[in-house]
Amino acid sequence: MDPAAQGTVYPDVVFTIDPARVAAFRAVFDQTDGVPPTFVTAAEFAVFPRVIGDPALALDFTRVVHGSQEYAYERPLREGETVTVRARIESIKIKGATGFLTVVMELRDADGELVCTARSQMIERGPDA
Amino acid sequence: MLEVGQELPELGRVVTAADVKAYADAGGDRNPLHQDDAFARSVGFPGIIAHGMFTMGHMAAAVTAFVGDPASVLRISAQFRAPVYVGERIVAGGRVVAVDATTATLETWVRLERDGETLWAIKKGQAVLRLP
Repeated sequence: MDPAAQGTVYPDVVFTIDPARVAAFRAVFDQTDGVPPTFVTAAEFAVFPRVIGDPALALDFTRVVHGSQEYAYERPLREGETVTVRARIESIKIKGATGFLTVVMELRDADGELVCTARSQMIERGPDA
Repeated sequence: MLEVGQELPELGRVVTAADVKAYADAGGDRNPLHQDDAFARSVGFPGIIAHGMFTMGHMAAAVTAFVGDPASVLRISAQFRAPVYVGERIVAGGRVVAVDATTATLETWVRLERDGETLWAIKKGQAVLRLP
């Protein structure tokens, strides 16, 4: 992982809160109503391939584990709405053979209003960890 | 009316391979670490591990069951600690740590028992709820 990639902003990705996919997500957790608070992960994974595959970041995803996750809502997501997801590398820290990557994604609605901010910390374990 | 010290009813489940597969499809994280036993072993784990986000989704389900409406969750966060292996039983819990005029803050966690020891899949989880 290359610390010089800190600050990179990736192109916007459009993501629809597909009711069928929300229902499949709810079913995993035996939920019946609404959009589960962690469903935003599906929007994040619409963008992660660009981050993971960014040659400038040089991340080895086969050695990555999830360190922490946070979602902060300005308002609840609505089933059927389309949001724009913009990912930014907030920080990259290297400690020995271990790399710590923090990616922030902002979900904005059709009016450009912020709906949710997702912050993920990924840990790239050293080859011998 | 929520009060500081009030506990969330605990929510337990055994994590199956089918659960993890269903989660991978719905959540979109198809990392082979969560699907392919041989791959997981090749990178140093004893077998398939559940997604951290599966465990966090379970924690969120416990919070949602407590508050009644997922739209009341203003903020939710988790730090992932012990990996969760297929076949293990995870238990989500929490307690109210702060209440003000409009919000309640919960400390949340997910624990499991392995080899007679209590491990934390999620420690220092937090959820902020909008009060009705």
